[in-house]
Amino acid sequence: MSSIILEARDIRYRYPRSMEAIRGISFHIRKGEKIALVGPNGAGKSTLLMMFNGMIRPDTGIILFDNQPVRYDTASLRTLRKRVGFVLQNPDRQIIAPTVYQDVAFGPTNLGYPETEVREAVTLALRHVGLEGFERRPPHQLSGGEKKRVAIAGVLAMDPDVLVFDEPTGGLDPSGSEDIMELLDELNLEGKTVIISTHDVELAYPWADRAILLLAGTILREDVPEVAFGNPEFVRTAHLSLPTLLELYIELQKRGFPLPEKKPLTVLDMMHIIEPLFQTTCCHTGTGTITVCNVDKDRQELLSAWLLARPKIPVGAMGTRAKQCASNEHIPLDFTYGVIDKCILKALLGEDTLILTTESMVERVYTRVDAYVTESGIHITVNPLAPGTGRAKKESGRQP
Amino acid sequence: MFEEFLEDIAQKNGLRGVNTYLKLATGLGAIILCLLSTSYFSPLFIALILTGSILVLARVDAKTYAGLFIVPFWFALFSVAGIILVSGGQEVFWRWDPFSWLSLSITRESINFGFLVFCRVMGGMSAMCFIALTTPMTDIFIVLRQCRIPEVVIDLAMIIYRTIFIIVDQVKQIYNAQVMRLGYSTFLESIHSFASMCGAVFIASWDAGEDLIRAMNARCYDGKFALLGETRPVEYLPLFAVMVFLSLSSLVVILSKDMTII
Repeated sequence: MSSIILEARDIRYRYPRSMEAIRGISFHIRKGEKIALVGPNGAGKSTLLMMFNGMIRPDTGIILFDNQPVRYDTASLRTLRKRVGFVLQNPDRQIIAPTVYQDVAFGPTNLGYPETEVREAVTLALRHVGLEGFERRPPHQLSGGEKKRVAIAGVLAMDPDVLVFDEPTGGLDPSGSEDIMELLDELNLEGKTVIISTHDVELAYPWADRAILLLAGTILREDVPEVAFGNPEFVRTAHLSLPTLLELYIELQKRGFPLPEKKPLTVLDMMHIIEPLFQTTCCHTGTGTITVCNVDKDRQELLSAWLLARPKIPVGAMGTRAKQCASNEHIPLDFTYGVIDKCILKALLGEDTLILTTESMVERVYTRVDAYVTESGIHITVNPLAPGTGRAKKESGRQP
Repeated sequence: MFEEFLEDIAQKNGLRGVNTYLKLATGLGAIILCLLSTSYFSPLFIALILTGSILVLARVDAKTYAGLFIVPFWFALFSVAGIILVSGGQEVFWRWDPFSWLSLSITRESINFGFLVFCRVMGGMSAMCFIALTTPMTDIFIVLRQCRIPEVVIDLAMIIYRTIFIIVDQVKQIYNAQVMRLGYSTFLESIHSFASMCGAVFIASWDAGEDLIRAMNARCYDGKFALLGETRPVEYLPLFAVMVFLSLSSLVVILSKDMTII
């Protein structure tokens, strides 16, 4: 194991006149690691990142860089900022100078490099991000991805040991995002420690060596991505979604398929897991029932009584009003997106589920289930919570 | 709104590779010659040559170029009409005294003078356009530094230059958002929309300013701004062309000094 380069010891920070943004966080990052800070909006990701290069000073606790506590006098900050490069989320806010060359040269010039060295650093940095020949272009003529690259080059020109990216793929198209992530990998292979913040779980899951799940200024979980994202409970608490591959793995596991211990990180891993399964057959037990509660019509008491009679039944909510109703009634929600499909999956496992939804979306539950039933030939029953509030009761599908 | 900036054209024009000093000498020299000339002919001659080089050498789209002249053309036309009516002369063609203290007249001298002013405006405009369309700001910054303009001024100018585009971008976004929600539909509504846009842009700019300081600090700002140091070398052909243009124009100014339209 290589040595620790960044460490935080019980740091806390409060923005003036507002809530505490960081509430006692401790962790360490080793040299050459790829770290993803993952959390919902307002979890404190950006605040934490800004502490790495001394832009924000924690109220209590210390940050250590290279085993030395960070000091906040001008000279020390300069040294720190040379070694910890920071790339802001919005490249427009980071690019200062009127031409690409001048912007990339900004750091080296201010570090006092002689002219020839500045030129060398700029050329190298631009070659790194694949923007040779862009020296004289003004930034406002570049595309989003190109701007991002300029911002990264501006930081690379100072040759930092640690690179910190706030939402590296924010506002980029899918192929632009992939390019940037590949660039981050490349930089990491050259020995740089790379830290990113993101709320894109799909992005962080296959990329990171370690993931740190943040929620409301505290660390919820810190582990390898398979573990950090592997617990649906944690992921839901952190207002995130499971990576699709993991979700698929967990669903297969629930169906009792013999799966290898190692969770899939890539589609290739997944194929490796799935292919042997074609030889075995799935053993279906009876299917479960999906109950639909129309929050606009059904009475609260009925719902409460119904739920009381069935503790631990998985509940999903579709639509804003339904989610609001659930939070008013303190009903813990198991599914908040892709609800119908998740309930079908549960029903296939033989479990009953409840869907809270609004008047306009009731029909959609029936249509989706009907469609699935017709396609698969497996019978699933959908019932309204109170008789007469759903669609005119109709047996969906046929017996297999 | 804001489809294209002059700056964008300048960045891509055909004369981008020519030495900045040569281009500035052409433009500024042309302006001075226009002001020195006493006849209408030499400003027109200069305007013609510069327009030709803007359209042919710099490959600027003719429609865009003509568009630049609309506002100054009407401005010059009205000013010149005023000059012709107000200034007096010997040979009077038409005269009207609406009040005892005001007399309007059209004379041979006033027509000649008015037309000269009009031609100067057109000549000067084409020279200005020549600089604006062929020399991007980024090149002018280099010249400013070589001319020993204080660094603070240049640094500020560069930050302002960079920020203009960001702010214009924000204005564009807010403006579109307002139009989509039916802002600017009536006169009063326009005033209201414009005011709220100004407010929003002010706050956004303030925010951007704070981010700018942060971005500069994050990259060890120490009062220095890198500058793309070298200008392009002076080549013989452009140098020769500029010298021929300026001397020919000077010659025209001298030879045509007594020329009048009527």
